[in-house]
Amino acid sequence: MEGSDTYLIRPNHQYKFKPAIVKECIREIVRERLSGMRYDPEEVPELSRSLADCIKDKVKNAGFDRYKLVVQVVIGEQRGQGVKMSSRCLWDADTDNYAEDVFINDSLFCVAAVFGSYYY
Amino acid sequence: MSSDKKITKEDTWKPAELRKHIREGGHVENNVRRRDDSERRQRGGESVERTRRDPEKETRREKDKLRERRDKEEIDKYADRRKEGSRDRRSERDRKEETRRDKVVDGKTYDEDKERHRDKEDRDKRREEREERKEKERRRHEEGGEGETERREKQDREKRDRHRERDKDEDKRNDRERRERKHVEVKEDGENRDEQRRRREERERRHKERGNHDEKRKHDSRSREHRDVKEVVEEVRGHGGDRERTERDKNKERKHREDEEPERNHRRDPTSSRKSDKASDKSHDAKTEAAKDEDLADYEDDFEDYEEDFEELDESPDEEEEEEKEGSEVLEEKEELTAERRKEIEAIQRAMAEENQRVQSREISSTEEERPRWSRGSEKTPSVDSQRGKFIDFVAAKQREVSKKVASKQKKRSTELLRLIDLDFSTTASLLDLPPVNEYDMYIRTFGTANTKQAYVQCNEDNVDRDIQTEETEVCEKWTQHPPEHNGACGDPNLSREAQDKSEMSFDSRRLTAFLRSASQVMVVLLEEHRADRKSLEKMKSPTDSTSFSDGSLLLNTKLPFLYGRSVSLLHFSPAQKHTVMSVHRPTETPSAVRLDSCSIICIWNIWEPSSPQRVLIYESEVQCCCFSPGKAVLVFAGTSVGSVLLWDLRENTEDHYSLKIGEEEWTFRQPTFSTDAVMSGSGHFSSVTSVEVVPSSSSSDVPLLASEEESSGLSFQLASLDEVGVLNFWVVLELPKANEAGSPTDLGLRPGGKVKLLHSSVLLTAERESPRDAAKTGPLQTLNLKFLPTDSNHFFIGTNMGLVNHETSHGLKVPPRFYRFQEAGVQPVDVTSIHFSPFRKHLFLVGCGDGSIRLHAVSQQHPVSEWRNSTSGEPVISLQWNQTRPSVFCVLDGASNLHIWDLLRNDTQPVVTEKLHSDRVTAMSVFGDSGQQHTYSGVALAHESGKIEMQYFTRSLTVSSSEEEEKLESLVTEAF
Repeated sequence: MEGSDTYLIRPNHQYKFKPAIVKECIREIVRERLSGMRYDPEEVPELSRSLADCIKDKVKNAGFDRYKLVVQVVIGEQRGQGVKMSSRCLWDADTDNYAEDVFINDSLFCVAAVFGSYYY
Repeated sequence: MSSDKKITKEDTWKPAELRKHIREGGHVENNVRRRDDSERRQRGGESVERTRRDPEKETRREKDKLRERRDKEEIDKYADRRKEGSRDRRSERDRKEETRRDKVVDGKTYDEDKERHRDKEDRDKRREEREERKEKERRRHEEGGEGETERREKQDREKRDRHRERDKDEDKRNDRERRERKHVEVKEDGENRDEQRRRREERERRHKERGNHDEKRKHDSRSREHRDVKEVVEEVRGHGGDRERTERDKNKERKHREDEEPERNHRRDPTSSRKSDKASDKSHDAKTEAAKDEDLADYEDDFEDYEEDFEELDESPDEEEEEEKEGSEVLEEKEELTAERRKEIEAIQRAMAEENQRVQSREISSTEEERPRWSRGSEKTPSVDSQRGKFIDFVAAKQREVSKKVASKQKKRSTELLRLIDLDFSTTASLLDLPPVNEYDMYIRTFGTANTKQAYVQCNEDNVDRDIQTEETEVCEKWTQHPPEHNGACGDPNLSREAQDKSEMSFDSRRLTAFLRSASQVMVVLLEEHRADRKSLEKMKSPTDSTSFSDGSLLLNTKLPFLYGRSVSLLHFSPAQKHTVMSVHRPTETPSAVRLDSCSIICIWNIWEPSSPQRVLIYESEVQCCCFSPGKAVLVFAGTSVGSVLLWDLRENTEDHYSLKIGEEEWTFRQPTFSTDAVMSGSGHFSSVTSVEVVPSSSSSDVPLLASEEESSGLSFQLASLDEVGVLNFWVVLELPKANEAGSPTDLGLRPGGKVKLLHSSVLLTAERESPRDAAKTGPLQTLNLKFLPTDSNHFFIGTNMGLVNHETSHGLKVPPRFYRFQEAGVQPVDVTSIHFSPFRKHLFLVGCGDGSIRLHAVSQQHPVSEWRNSTSGEPVISLQWNQTRPSVFCVLDGASNLHIWDLLRNDTQPVVTEKLHSDRVTAMSVFGDSGQQHTYSGVALAHESGKIEMQYFTRSLTVSSSEEEEKLESLVTEAF
């Protein structure tokens, strides 16, 4: 009746989500924004939101074509407590990937994770 | 479909109802509210509500009468619905849809198409209807004569039946419409095809089923239906008597309408074929049966009851036309109504829109299934609706439509894609793992940093080690006792007995071997002596006359193959073991069977065993001088022409040495145990060694040299060696505690397995001239002889080639006289060939010279006690020795092979015996003798040129000493000074 749709099942290699590059992006931004910062509960929500946006914009410009990005930024205070954070994804491991970076200074820790999901 | 049951209010809110509510005015609010309350109530309830609205309907009765046939059908449906309500909710909704669609159909003109289908269907329908009607008639006749309620029931039943067939009919139409519509919608709604088809199929199936079921069930369920109807009727009654009145009015009106209808139908046929069908159907029925007319009238009356539900259709253009035709009354009313309520309508419409929106947003998820159909309808109708000036919330609908479209698109996409890709769970990635900081670190972080700095960390603190002694202590039981009893003062209870036995055994064997060794030696000697005695007895008889001094002679057996053709250069007796003699045989020029020609051979003899030498020593170069060790003759020293000092240890086993089988006998040739050859290059001799002498120790001089074996084997004595140029070396003779079979790595002069070695201790340069002037006239000084003063090893005497004997000391001040010289002054180039101390008067010594002169010196005097010149008629003195048993007797061998025996007691100017041994020249002479208690003997050993060694025993006169001999010597000394 009608021709079957054609899909791009796999991204071209050059457009594939590369964790190393993304990690570098995250690191750059997080270092720049958070170095020397002290934890302030008032401004951390806004800070994490803007960080996430910043990271998302930067990664978008990195040229991962047809990728949907999810950026998660967690900032917490460092008071000697133990923190454990992990993620699990249901995805197509061939195309999808994630990158994360941790920034820690005396007063806070920041975990930024970017999940890239390929849009077929 | 289960989702179909989720009917929401928006579905129930139809434009018609809305209008109705508006008209109801004050009731509207109430109704709306009630409706909200009964949102999910069954249709039956709703229908009841509708019945209550009847009073208002009265006003519109006129208009309703003019309604289309088609509308009536729908009214019929609603009537059915009112009665069947809950039983057939589904078909009801379909019908609702249908009405909506029909509106559309009205607005547009695709009815020709529809008509064609309808013709066909209508034929079928007519047939069915006919049959059904017959049946109904039959039933009615059966039930005839019943009251109004019964009639009503019949009507209802008929209505139901009709409805049923109408349902079928309508379903078919629906299908057709849908099919048609599909063509329109395919473009936008392709995805829903399946769903629609499914839905349609199911619907059809259900209708069929129901139809069949109803047919079958008609009789069975009659009573039930009856009951249902009754209930409904009662409900209706409960709402007031006006209801009945209305019905009656309706009936009247119906009659009026019946008349009009055919005309109407004919007039409107082109637009609605169904109406004409119906009309013809009815007319046909009327012709066939008279009763049917009434029936039909009733049937149509029923429709009138529910006209009000479809008021909204009034505003369609053709209806309006009709309305105009109907009469001004209705129109007026309507205009009045619109004028009055326009604002209100608008307000309510707004409110409704809001509410719709609210509900929609609230139930957007639950109405998922409903939405597409709804929106589809709404999409089609806007033009119509706008024409009618009604407001329905199409924006939300459109949104829903769009979102639905998107969702379905995505769904399709996902279904297609999920076939191609696999989703899987990623392994759990740890994004952050921040361990809790322990208290110490926290403390350090917060407080510990003030003025402190952590520079170092003690680590490895967990590496703790611990040891346990697991080895058991060895325990051994011993006992001790004081004072000691029996064998010992201590012991082991377990081992004492065996140990005792063992020690006793070993002690015994050692003693036994020692005994056997000495006993065997004794036995051998005895046997040898016995044989020698017999030989000497025989000899004494035959050659007695040859020598005047001899009391008998003994020949050593030198007729050995390796001694053949060798001349004897030296004979030397051991000073301690006086029966041991060694003979030095020169290398021979004549080739022999034995390959030892270039070697010097030294044979050690026991004079009691003359048949064969005890030991045979061998060395590569010519031996110039030799001597025995003091005490027991176990060591032999020799100096060679190449400047080496040699040492043989006679105790070594024969197995350690090279043995050669010559003839039938096997001979062992011993290489020196120690040699200074090329070993002591820095401290050795560089010219031929002229003399080797054992330095007499003071102890050995005092104590007679008959020390025990143990003492002599202690071997701590010095050896002196003198070479031609006057270098005097002192050596320490050292016995090693243990022999090394592999040889000594440090002392290369030591033979492997050897135990005795020489250590160089000191060196003296003894070539001292009387005056430097002599050197020019006499040539180089040679040192030829070395003798130590037997009583003092510090003093030694060296004979030179200047006719002088130098007196020197190894340490300490020089003691006069420095030289022992001739009677007359001056130095003559004469060799001192021999020096010999008197064994009895140890300060007297004899010097023999190369010119044949013999001098008797006292140690203390520079000049001789006496000097005998020309006693040998000018022949050089070769050897000169005191007699061992008589102090005043000495023997002199001169170069002409004459043996002179001097007896100073008898004649102190010339020798008493001069024996000329010219037949076989004598090359060496040595005096032997023992003044022992049991057997005093003395003699002279003569080595002949032929190699024969002859032992001549002196006669008794020369052997046995007398008391005046020493006095004679004393007197000689005192006379001289």
